[in-house]
Amino acid sequence: MDPTTLIGPSSPLGYPAPYWFLITFKVLGFTLHMVPMHIWYAGVLLAMLLQWRGGEVGRQLSRRLMRPMPILIALGINFGIVPLLFTQVAYYKVFYPATILMAWPWVSIIVLLTLAYYGVYIYVAGLRTEGATIARWRQAVGWVTAAFFLLIGFFFSNAFSLMTNVRAWPDLWLRKSIGGAPLGTALNTEDPTLWPRWLMMFSLALTTTAVFIIVDAEWFAPQERPNYRAAARRAALMISTIGVIGFATTGSWYVFGTWPAELRESMFRGPLRALTGLTAISPGIPWLLILWQWRKGGTRARAVATAVAQVLVLAFNAISRQIVQNAELGQFLDVTVEPVRLQWSPLILFLLLFAIGLGVVAWMLRRLKAIRTSESG
Amino acid sequence: MHYPWWYVPFLTSPMLIAIISVLHVLVAHYAVGGGLFLAVETQYAYRYNHREYLAYLKEHAWFFILITVVYGAITGVGIWWTIGVASPLATQTLIHIFVFGWAMEYVFFVLEIVSAFIFYYFWGRLDPKTHVRIGWIYAGSAWMSLVLITGITAFMLNSGQWPEERTFWAGFLNPQFVPQVFARTGGAFLLASLYVYLHATFKAKDPALRDLIAARSARPALLGALLIILGGIGWYLALPESAKAALIAASTLNILVVLIFAVTIAVFFMLYLGPYRNPGWLSPGFAILFFTFGLVAITTGEYIREAVRKPYIIYNVVLGNQVYAEKVPELRRTGYLEGGTWTKAWVAHHYPQVLNNDRIDPAQLLALPEEDQVKLGEVLFLYHCNDCHAGRRGFSAVAQLIRGWTPDMVRTVVEHPEKAHFFMPPWAGTPEEAELLTKYLLRIAHPRPAGMYFGEEK
Repeated sequence: MDPTTLIGPSSPLGYPAPYWFLITFKVLGFTLHMVPMHIWYAGVLLAMLLQWRGGEVGRQLSRRLMRPMPILIALGINFGIVPLLFTQVAYYKVFYPATILMAWPWVSIIVLLTLAYYGVYIYVAGLRTEGATIARWRQAVGWVTAAFFLLIGFFFSNAFSLMTNVRAWPDLWLRKSIGGAPLGTALNTEDPTLWPRWLMMFSLALTTTAVFIIVDAEWFAPQERPNYRAAARRAALMISTIGVIGFATTGSWYVFGTWPAELRESMFRGPLRALTGLTAISPGIPWLLILWQWRKGGTRARAVATAVAQVLVLAFNAISRQIVQNAELGQFLDVTVEPVRLQWSPLILFLLLFAIGLGVVAWMLRRLKAIRTSESG
Repeated sequence: MHYPWWYVPFLTSPMLIAIISVLHVLVAHYAVGGGLFLAVETQYAYRYNHREYLAYLKEHAWFFILITVVYGAITGVGIWWTIGVASPLATQTLIHIFVFGWAMEYVFFVLEIVSAFIFYYFWGRLDPKTHVRIGWIYAGSAWMSLVLITGITAFMLNSGQWPEERTFWAGFLNPQFVPQVFARTGGAFLLASLYVYLHATFKAKDPALRDLIAARSARPALLGALLIILGGIGWYLALPESAKAALIAASTLNILVVLIFAVTIAVFFMLYLGPYRNPGWLSPGFAILFFTFGLVAITTGEYIREAVRKPYIIYNVVLGNQVYAEKVPELRRTGYLEGGTWTKAWVAHHYPQVLNNDRIDPAQLLALPEEDQVKLGEVLFLYHCNDCHAGRRGFSAVAQLIRGWTPDMVRTVVEHPEKAHFFMPPWAGTPEEAELLTKYLLRIAHPRPAGMYFGEEK
């Protein structure tokens, strides 16, 4: 069966904004989403490992990782709305079929996320009431929560790899359907790109979590004992090193082991070569900054520089991912040529509200800064 | 029909949307009303330096965050998840019309999250003025998100001028918009008070404080009940004729409308006689009863709101079976199997002999062996009918509905479902395809129940 016959016609409504606008917000939103999402994705598992085998400082680090988790999860979920929204606008022809083919795992994300989120709250409540000696049952909840987050990541990787793996659709559909209607139980596990993509995202999540530890130690841990910051830097370096090695390994596997030759050629040619190179080597920059802080000591400015470098790493990854996604889909459809029926006034109103929203958030954060200043004064 | 149809046995996949939507709205209204409650009451408690009340409000804020920020936010995203897989064409249509509406809502979501956490986690560290302001930022953002999402869901019930004008604002400012904003705002006030009663009766130990909470929350609740009634009247007046007819014709909906009015009136009087006039009456049992009534009213209201849309998902735009209303005449000419991306691929894969110049020849379908015709009938059933009907057993199972029908009766309804029941979508295929579906339905139909007596011919 020709897989392109499974791609439906264009929407008669067209795109509500030019493709570049949709994709800018998709990439920007995904970058913002990755920051908190990475911290819970790898952070909860790390916190559990540190609590289990981390010694006194490790357990302290574990507690510091877990305490802000409820806020980070809330922010991450909300930041995820924008990329999902613009994915559905621009990639509807492949997004819906892919998620329908694996509807049960896809929908189960909601159940898993709800349970994991409450799991985090249960664990954090234990930190408040029980302190360092957290009850065993809460620890069990923490481990299950960490496993749920990994599973959610696996389902996400399945959905987004299946979205571009149109070639696999006919087989998955015909094998798992009744009367032509999918059962929704398919997974994209036979796609060779799935595993390196899933593991690559986890490796990248480790590097983001390491940067978070650095920022937290320098900015938010003044009350901790003096040796804590040094220990946090050491732990961050170790986590970042594992993340960078993992990223290099799984990234090489992904690029050299699963990409078709034409895709590899296009990503290593012309201006894209610079982007691919930056995407590949950029995780080394925050790693070097962490190494520097481990050797020379940390400051708030250094922590900020590391965070900025990590956001750039994530942005490079999001941009490269977007280009690869379009290239993978290119053999089946061109998402950039859909007709556009520009919705000027809602678009302007959104941008206006976006700017006002940022202003209000900035105002609220300034109030918090004022509190901290007055409290420390 | 441009997408694969997700088969969910027994329940049908759209019912998953209904389940998760109801679970969401029970908390979503509280997320709005509870925000207003916290802003107003914190301002009041600061003004009168009521320390016990402030302590209670802090405890309530934690309960509020646990319920709304976690459960409410994720079930909200859950609706997105399920509509995409269970109703993809309607979702695609909505998102292409209203993407900036949702994007604006996202801005308010972020404001809600940030302000809610600051409001709670910096309690006692912010000066009262700033604290109250943050509370109002939350309340305003939450209400704006209600307004934005109501514009979109109201559009589904009455698309107004959109089919002619096809602009964002023609869709957003539809006839149902203002009534539903009134009703939902009322629902938010009312439900928030019921959540507060439930929480306060268990957590506020001081009877004087409990009485204060009961009395102060009674007014917004009464106002909420009035807004629901006003909004409900406006909602009814702005319903399309088909929805009004469905409301009157469907016996289940009759009963539910009576139920919702009875429950709302009961809650109104209970509020007046209880917390408003006699705050001391408020006990855990009373609060649980209140809360249950509130949940019943909201759930029933949502069910009615969804049910009266039939046969549309988006009024006059997308039919319940994932077909654009304007495409029906074309599909009746060219065939449903031919018009559907996945149905055509399925036929082409399994029965290439029915293709003629890469198009499905309807006449060839009836030349297939009987068993294959039944199999194709099943495809037609799943893609054309399974949105609302399970097959042999389950939600509104068609095999039960047509028990004992003659082949002619089945054929007539298959060819003209919209004439048999105006709330069913029209048949969107060729007569040959109707024959295939008829054969499938007759195959799965249960026999007429035995032992029924209607007298005897003398």
